[in-house]
Amino acid sequence: MSKSDLILKIENLRKLFPAERRVFGKVNLFVHAVDGVSYEIKRGESLALVGESGCGKTTTGKILVGLYEPTSGRVLIEGEDVTPYLIQNKKRVIEYLKDMYLNKFKKGEIPSSEVDKNMYELYKKLGENESAFINHFMKDRGKKMIDLRKKVQMIFQDPYESLNPRMTIYDIVAEPLNIHNIGTIKEREDRVADLLADVGLTPPDSFLFRFPHELSGGQRQRVAIARALILNPTFVVADEPTSMLDVSIRTGIMKLMMKLADEYDMSYLYITHDLAVARYMANKIAVMYLGKIVEMGDIEEVLHNPLHPYTKALLTAVPVPDPEHKRGEPDIKGSVAKPINPPPRCRFYDRCPLATKECEKLPHPELKEVAPNHWVACYVVAGDVKAK
Amino acid sequence: MEKRVVLKVEDLKMHYKTKKGYVKAVDGISFELNEGESLGIVGESGCGKTSVSMTILRLLPENAEFKGGHIYFNDGKGPIDLVSLPEDEMRKYRWKGISMIFQAAMNSLNPVYKVGDQIIEAIQNHYPDLSIDEAKKKVAELFELVGLDPKRMEQYPHQYSGGMKQRAIIAMALSCDPKVIIADEPTTALDVIVQDRILKEMKKIQQKLNMSMIYISHDIAVIAEVSDKIAVMYAGKFVEFADSVTIFKRPSHPYTYGLMHAFPSVVGPKTELTTIPGEPPNLLDPPKGCRFAPRCPLATEECWEKEPEYREIEPGHWIACHHPLKVGEVVKFDEQK
Repeated sequence: MSKSDLILKIENLRKLFPAERRVFGKVNLFVHAVDGVSYEIKRGESLALVGESGCGKTTTGKILVGLYEPTSGRVLIEGEDVTPYLIQNKKRVIEYLKDMYLNKFKKGEIPSSEVDKNMYELYKKLGENESAFINHFMKDRGKKMIDLRKKVQMIFQDPYESLNPRMTIYDIVAEPLNIHNIGTIKEREDRVADLLADVGLTPPDSFLFRFPHELSGGQRQRVAIARALILNPTFVVADEPTSMLDVSIRTGIMKLMMKLADEYDMSYLYITHDLAVARYMANKIAVMYLGKIVEMGDIEEVLHNPLHPYTKALLTAVPVPDPEHKRGEPDIKGSVAKPINPPPRCRFYDRCPLATKECEKLPHPELKEVAPNHWVACYVVAGDVKAK
Repeated sequence: MEKRVVLKVEDLKMHYKTKKGYVKAVDGISFELNEGESLGIVGESGCGKTSVSMTILRLLPENAEFKGGHIYFNDGKGPIDLVSLPEDEMRKYRWKGISMIFQAAMNSLNPVYKVGDQIIEAIQNHYPDLSIDEAKKKVAELFELVGLDPKRMEQYPHQYSGGMKQRAIIAMALSCDPKVIIADEPTTALDVIVQDRILKEMKKIQQKLNMSMIYISHDIAVIAEVSDKIAVMYAGKFVEFADSVTIFKRPSHPYTYGLMHAFPSVVGPKTELTTIPGEPPNLLDPPKGCRFAPRCPLATEECWEKEPEYREIEPGHWIACHHPLKVGEVVKFDEQK
């Protein structure tokens, strides 16, 4: 696979939030919002990240656009390591580079993956000099951080809160161009008008100088989409963009987003709690539970043949718009725990109908490919532990 | 056996007065609700579905003006028109006759009182003769009924999870043994697994106590789960009313058709979703003829000129449309419009 076929790759991403405040001394309690998440999005694909509230799906998205810093892990965009630009603190960037690359290179470990090889080559080119390597990431840091923002954009959930009420539609959509200093004023105007037409706000002239309060919810969400697309991003994090909209408006936005993905050649990380919507917006799905991905794969395969007990329960619980459809009883106990310093065993252990004594002693299971393109993190399903 | 009609609403009208004129939020609603039956009212935001329930309970803001209609309530002693009652008489029926589970119920508990005490207060208001111990016993029974540990009566709302708060609210709605419960978006803010449990619990309680329910929701999947009959509401009016299977399997109104086909599902084949072009009308000045005409692909001149009559096209199937769909007819919505 050529390098640019892989739009996004996340390796072992973690984000911990302190769960207590200390003036002196170390914080011991952490909320494990995202706890070792790995996935990839190939060109032309979209991934739906689904789960219940509090499972860490939005946090994952916010890390990618730089709204949160990752605690650890690596983010690759189009094959390039962008993690140094997602971390604000320079000391932590240096730590990251040492941990991820320099210490390994010094020990003489042979890099295996493409990124590592590229990094090793860079290291050799810079004369195997540690500070030169670090400097390479430190110089022009501001510019590179801004460049990264161009590639990744976000569409937020609530179009009533994500648009500045004092700015006109033109100002809102053109703001990214102003920030990144792209084009002349005339070019910007043309670009905004073209894009408004693309997102279905026609004629664009009648929208350019209106304010958000003059638009309906669906129209506002179209403005938010236009703003996200104006820099031609490689991929867009869409955080429940249709959950606030009415049914008859919602399908319009969903279809528009699919059409634009095609025309603009970009991918979505589509974050949602609604499995039915996910089915229409993505071709891959990752189901999250308490900061971990428990099942991942081609969306139709996962929805028709769910293997993880949590995915099964979730799918059984989704109401079906058909009064004659009889759903079963979701096989799940208790309710979601808070992920504060969780025990090392499987996160789903307490609620799992399949849990055995062995599961309690083992660490959280890794994702294992049980069928082509279908990954599950469960010892019992994968056959590593005998079922009850 | 003929079932008793518990609630009969006739040509109900309620408008909100604003600076720009009257917003016709409820504009001629009629329906009947039998004992032990559940009715689902489905519609988009702003169509007036919550206003209908507020009008029935007479819980209206100051700028609301009642414009006519009748609400007959029958708890076994013969029908009484709630509209004709003075406010202090109405109080006796509110909560004891018809109670309500409000939207965003999770935030409708008072944070500084114990949950049990809040329900006891409601009970003592309506049954002043009941001693505090009897009221407490009743609350404990209600907690058992909705699946909460009676020990939690002594806790405050912040110690509850979202689903537990919702259960407490249901217990409160049940506290005065109502004949009818109106549930306004009872599970909207909940996660699917919790939603599933709450809906099943409500269905079970309804059957056990032989109550009538009115569910109000924008989510047709939720409505499909819990309702025997469904009313589809659009711009202040019912456009179609029938048993739930008829509404889903052979809708007659183009709006119902559009709504049913706009909803994605996790089961079955992945079908093409429809988009209804345009937006619901402004209720300050709704279209003269059919209110759906501007968005309807089948609209003719008649639709723009003359308002369709709300009529029964087959037993138990009511519709307000000049051109009802035939069984199996496919409607193509013009998405560019």
